[in-house]
Amino acid sequence: MFSEREPDKGRLSKEEVYSDLDEKCSRIFVKDIMKTRPVTIKGDDSVERVLEVFNENQFHTYPVVEKNGNFLGIIDQNIILQLLLTHRAPRLDHTHLMAVKSLSESARGIMIPHPVTIPPEMDLCEVAEIMIKHKVERFCVVDNDKLAGIICKPDVIKAIYSLRG
Amino acid sequence: MEFLFQILIILLSARLLSEVSERVGMPGILGEVLAGLLLGLVIVQETETIASVAELGAIFLLFTAGYKEVHIEDLKASSKKAIVATLFQIAAAFIAGFALGRFFGFGFVESLFLAVAFSPTSIGVVVKTLLDMGYLSSKPGSMMLTSAIFDDIIGIFLLSVVVTMGKYSEFPSILQFLMLAGKLVFFIAVMVILGYKVFPYLFGYVQKMHAKESIFAAVVLVALFSAYFADILGLDAVIGAFIGGVLLSNIPIAKIEDVQSKVSGLAYGILVPIFFAHIGMSVDVGALSTLGSFTILVVVLALLSKFVGGFVGAKAIGFDSHESFIFGSGVMPRAGVELVVISIGREMGIIGDEIFSAVVLMVAVSLFVSPIVLKFAIQKDKEHKNSASG
Repeated sequence: MFSEREPDKGRLSKEEVYSDLDEKCSRIFVKDIMKTRPVTIKGDDSVERVLEVFNENQFHTYPVVEKNGNFLGIIDQNIILQLLLTHRAPRLDHTHLMAVKSLSESARGIMIPHPVTIPPEMDLCEVAEIMIKHKVERFCVVDNDKLAGIICKPDVIKAIYSLRG
Repeated sequence: MEFLFQILIILLSARLLSEVSERVGMPGILGEVLAGLLLGLVIVQETETIASVAELGAIFLLFTAGYKEVHIEDLKASSKKAIVATLFQIAAAFIAGFALGRFFGFGFVESLFLAVAFSPTSIGVVVKTLLDMGYLSSKPGSMMLTSAIFDDIIGIFLLSVVVTMGKYSEFPSILQFLMLAGKLVFFIAVMVILGYKVFPYLFGYVQKMHAKESIFAAVVLVALFSAYFADILGLDAVIGAFIGGVLLSNIPIAKIEDVQSKVSGLAYGILVPIFFAHIGMSVDVGALSTLGSFTILVVVLALLSKFVGGFVGAKAIGFDSHESFIFGSGVMPRAGVELVVISIGREMGIIGDEIFSAVVLMVAVSLFVSPIVLKFAIQKDKEHKNSASG
């Protein structure tokens, strides 16, 4: 027979753990856990250079910046695959925008301009919530138009996991 | 249940024939219109509910065009040369359409609708050909792309003018014309204020909402609101949807990948195929089967005027004959916007079955013919260049 175990007096209940986590989360900010100085691409870099960056590194997305560090946009693996396999793209994607991109010679021409960014002061709970709700894998962190860093889901998971203790 | 069955059968056949069409190297839209044509002949009766769903399809077709394709920055960066070539080909097609309508004794506004249906270009149809032939990056290839950006905008502008004129059924007086211009300016002004001042804040709040799919819902609501707002001002719903889409394209949170793919799924997965099938269902096969001189002339003149206009326009900006030939054939295809124009005209009771069916046939022929002519033009250019170099 199974006997009901007495609750462990020294242990926190699930609810208590979560509210405790919530509180800890709100004290951690994006700037504390983001990757600073990520690999970036310059707006005027050639497409060939962009391909090299993708070949040399394993990241999914790279921020595109001006020479002065101002954030311009992002280039991700989907764009690169589309560029490399333009011929195989479904006809619905044969739009002038896609065609214009495939003709571009610089990073600026192929990037996604002005994607969603977050400020360094956003707290951990908030960024986790946006990631889950809107199925976003990573954000560029922008402070006064300048790229401050990049934060990905694994960074958020790691931070929350370590807070759980 | 009748409605459920109709939607099921329309969507199923549109998707199947669209796939067949793609497999044989033709755009899916051709299969979708054909599906409607066949269904109209056999089982499905056109009902008001299906017409309403189709109208939503037209609204979302143009909304996604603005939302996903037009970037205001692109327009600023486009060259003045492209405007010259674009104006030539649009003007030639417009004049040909209008003259043809008048020649066959159609009314002023009816002829204007035909002219507007002649005017835009659907560049997507020939992108594949340009890619296959390695000519996308050629001078005429890139000019076609730039031209296509202006084409959409000018097409929408012409449509808004002609729709408003349609309300008066005749050439408007100066006062009416000023009213029309005033309404258009008022609409655009309100939308720009909303787009730059209100929507960004609105989406800031929506992003924090707890309700499921709040951003997607907000994007759809903006599409419907812009369409309705344009409609109550006496412009047409699709014009509003297009402008609403263009303004949303500047708001990052409204364009996250997840939301874009949902909007695209709603539009291209469900509503737009129903719109194209509905066009097919509305074709009067009786009017087509007689293949009168009017129908033949609509097809021939629509293609020829674009071709000649494009050729002359390209020549005017310094292209050689072969390049101009390529540009002229590349701007011939028509597809979505043209069908939207005639369906609006038909709904307003301005154009009759004859023009409607003839334009649908013209769109179908242009989808077939343009890639073939373009391929021929490119081959000629290649031969010319080879003989010149060797």
